[in-house]
Amino acid sequence: MAFHEERRRVGLRLSVLQYVTVVLFSTLAISFWYLQVVQHDRFQEMADNNHQRTLPLRAPRGVLFDRDGRVLVENRHSYSISIVREHTKDINRTITLLSQVLGVQEGSVREIVERHRREPSYRPITIVQDATLAQVAAVTARRLSTELPDIVVQQVPTRQYPDTLGAHMFGYVGEVNDLQVSNADDLKSGDIVGQSGVEKIYNAMLMGEDGAKKVVVNSTGREIRTLEEIAPTEGKRLQLTVDYDVQKAVEDAFAVSGFNGAAVVLDPSDGGVLAFASLPAYDPNSFAAGIDRSTWSQLMTDEDRPLNDRAIQGTYSPGSTFKMAVALAGLEEGIITPDFKVFCPGHANFYGRDFKCWKHAGHGAIDLAHAIQQSCDVYFYTVGNMLGVDKINKWATLLGIGVKSGIDLPNEKQGLVPSTQWKRERMKEKWYAGETISVSIGQGQVSVTPVSMAVYMATLANGGTRVTPHLLKAVDDGSGWKPVPAPAAQSKIEIDPEKLDAIREGLWMVVNVPGGTGGTARIAGHDVAGKTGSAQVISNAGRMAARTTKNLRDHGWFVFFAPKENPKIAGVIFAEHGIHGGNAARIAHHVLDTFFAKQDGRPLPPPPADLKLDLSDAMAQPGERRALEDQDR
Amino acid sequence: MFERRLYHHIDWALLIAMFALCALGVAMIFSTTSDPTRGNSHLYITQLYAIGLGSIAMVFTLTLDYRTFTDKSHLIYIGLLAILLYVLFLGTVQMGARRWIPIGGFNLQPSEFAKVGVALVLAKYFGENRGMPNWTDLAIAGGLTCLPLALIAREPDLGTAVTLIPVFLAVAYLAGMQMRILGYMALSLVLLAPVAWKFALKDYQKSRISTFIDPTQDAKGAGYQQIQARITVGSGGLTGKGYMQGTQGQLRFLPVAHNDFIFSVLAEEQGFAGVIVALGLYLFVILRSLEAARLAKDRLGSYLVLGVLASFTFQVVYNITMSAGLAPVKGLTLPLMSYGGSSMIATLAGFGLVLNVRMRRFTN
Repeated sequence: MAFHEERRRVGLRLSVLQYVTVVLFSTLAISFWYLQVVQHDRFQEMADNNHQRTLPLRAPRGVLFDRDGRVLVENRHSYSISIVREHTKDINRTITLLSQVLGVQEGSVREIVERHRREPSYRPITIVQDATLAQVAAVTARRLSTELPDIVVQQVPTRQYPDTLGAHMFGYVGEVNDLQVSNADDLKSGDIVGQSGVEKIYNAMLMGEDGAKKVVVNSTGREIRTLEEIAPTEGKRLQLTVDYDVQKAVEDAFAVSGFNGAAVVLDPSDGGVLAFASLPAYDPNSFAAGIDRSTWSQLMTDEDRPLNDRAIQGTYSPGSTFKMAVALAGLEEGIITPDFKVFCPGHANFYGRDFKCWKHAGHGAIDLAHAIQQSCDVYFYTVGNMLGVDKINKWATLLGIGVKSGIDLPNEKQGLVPSTQWKRERMKEKWYAGETISVSIGQGQVSVTPVSMAVYMATLANGGTRVTPHLLKAVDDGSGWKPVPAPAAQSKIEIDPEKLDAIREGLWMVVNVPGGTGGTARIAGHDVAGKTGSAQVISNAGRMAARTTKNLRDHGWFVFFAPKENPKIAGVIFAEHGIHGGNAARIAHHVLDTFFAKQDGRPLPPPPADLKLDLSDAMAQPGERRALEDQDR
Repeated sequence: MFERRLYHHIDWALLIAMFALCALGVAMIFSTTSDPTRGNSHLYITQLYAIGLGSIAMVFTLTLDYRTFTDKSHLIYIGLLAILLYVLFLGTVQMGARRWIPIGGFNLQPSEFAKVGVALVLAKYFGENRGMPNWTDLAIAGGLTCLPLALIAREPDLGTAVTLIPVFLAVAYLAGMQMRILGYMALSLVLLAPVAWKFALKDYQKSRISTFIDPTQDAKGAGYQQIQARITVGSGGLTGKGYMQGTQGQLRFLPVAHNDFIFSVLAEEQGFAGVIVALGLYLFVILRSLEAARLAKDRLGSYLVLGVLASFTFQVVYNITMSAGLAPVKGLTLPLMSYGGSSMIATLAGFGLVLNVRMRRFTN
């Protein structure tokens, strides 16, 4: 019966095996249920992350146009090379290999990667912004051979500026910094934003909206197909008030002169900026594709400080260009009339101290218009003394001096016209009447920015409206141009036309009557009104010691509007170390000539070959320094 | 020799289930390799040839009485050892292992046939001995198993070598091996494990095991396949991503998708529903074969069926577990579905014996 017993045992053990098998398969089924159904969402996401990449498509920034619709700043295509760490097996190997392929320092690549280390790994880290074709070709070849599956080459729009033209006005763009990201909800790391100038002020309008491209990649990182593409929205197009021809005339003339400096030219009726320059300038294009460190440190350490926007951030003594403010104060306060005469013997005594006129021989009996024309110091000493510093401050402020202009550019600095209150609060000291005498001719503590001088001239030109200088004229968000109204005036005074005429007459004579100091700015057929001035850089004693040093020479000013009746243009030329105001007037001549040629429909004048500058420094006699400068012809 | 009435006793249900699995396999191979840009788009054709050859082999193992094979099993066994020795010294080297003999366009992998050979010889050995196997019987049977196992392990092909162990255990178990002996074996295995870890395992084998325990410690290296397998299966969901729509398999995130990980591809593209169908078919094949073992007219037949079934079941369960990322990655294919000619032919030949035993349950 062993057979049957054995038979039974075999049957029993087979049953055990059956049960074991069923249990094993049930366990498998439950495991698959758990993975595929219970945890499906998690694994689905991991699978998507495996094979899908979202590549940002950078929106082109809005194009900038001039007032005639000419393109000022546009975009060009460039290639950026980035690492997507999500697909990186060994980041060190990638960095080493990539830096070899690109021919850049391994350390700098590592530094960039390190800076973005905490960001999500799917976000590309841009290593080279504006790659050369050779770099693109080298990387693409490696990508195809799957050596660098984690490298992405993308075509991106990059800002294109007209070289250094209007650099400080347009500003530049750069990668957003951490502080900017934390301050704005709509910015993310890696975005390109305006870092100065119009680019910064109107960044929100210019930026546009980035698009995205969702692609399928295989395990070696190669793109297989596009799943979805959201096209980027281009930033709004902006029309500026700037006139390209006038802007170019300013910079051409400055270039011929060899001076650094600043210029602001306005439409006096509404404050629209026709030209805006600060020199030396930098090339914003070098920022557009990520500035390299050596260029940056060169800009930062340059003694001429090219990044400094002299037009709105430089404060300088206005010198004789300040005299019209004193004149207007005297007239409006009823202290003088246009016929009011002062006898100038070449000097005058105030509060026991002798103040010299630049013309030691004296001007004799002189009225307001001629005092302006010949820049008689004694006349303005006298008027200023009668007014007192607070009244000068009041009227200077109403004309735009010593206050911010409110121009739509970042980081404008404020000048200063002193007052008794200011001195009390700032210096904790009483104002001495003797200090007023220096203030009367734009010296002492008076300091101004070039832009505020342009506003000052525009206000005199338009009859008392302190317009706000502005650059934005119209906006096009894709549905056509919409004009942007000029910003409200900062203040408005009704100047008696008769009184104003006396000042205007003097300014006209400066340029158009022999004996005036601004004859070099004369334009045949157009009544240019203007005033020269100079700003002493160091004291007379210091001058003697450092007489040969170029950067201790005086600054030259020329402020102007034209034509005398119904002015269409007003502005300032500030020639840093330009020695004489007349040199600034020579630059202004080319600007005005261009402006009127355009207005009259004449061919535009070519850039002057030679400005015939007067570079003689009045070193021989410190006392006669301003004499030469103010009467230069 | 082949009586007409035997034809009526062929287990058609088992045959249908097996060929359904083969068809599923071909479909999945086609799905992962048909991309004409990749150069191996012909693989499914090769697989179809293998199924054809396997069917011929099955007809052969089905036609002769299984006792004819067991009677000649010692010769088959010796021939097998000779071929394994030949492979070890003169085989074709691929991917660092010497496993193949080139025959015509085919690379024959003799180790696959070793499973059937060992099943035959063990069935014969235990079938001839009456009563419960004693220590001597077990030692001799163990030796018969270990000889080809060692040769295969030397190739090296540890995965295939290990599949011989279930053959021995299953047949010995059915032959009446006492349970405590099984207990001793399990105990000694546990005790030997640290020793094996220290001396016998190669570094890559150790890393496979350690990354199984924690795949994330080497997510881009050895743990990669395991994580990808789990993602592949998990992302399939209830109904799958659709035929040829699986991103993991199609985009090559999963390595050797047509081979070791074919079940993962099925799970991805056909979802849990497809998994249940495939699992059901395999379970049916196994239970139906156990039924054949039960119905066998003699012990020899039962042992033979179980010997063939043991390596099959072991491989199925292990591969499916691995394809879900739930077991260390081992080069073990999924019988009937994975791409591979030798495996297909050997498996079908083995099942020819299973059908044989059932078919001849009434003959003398």
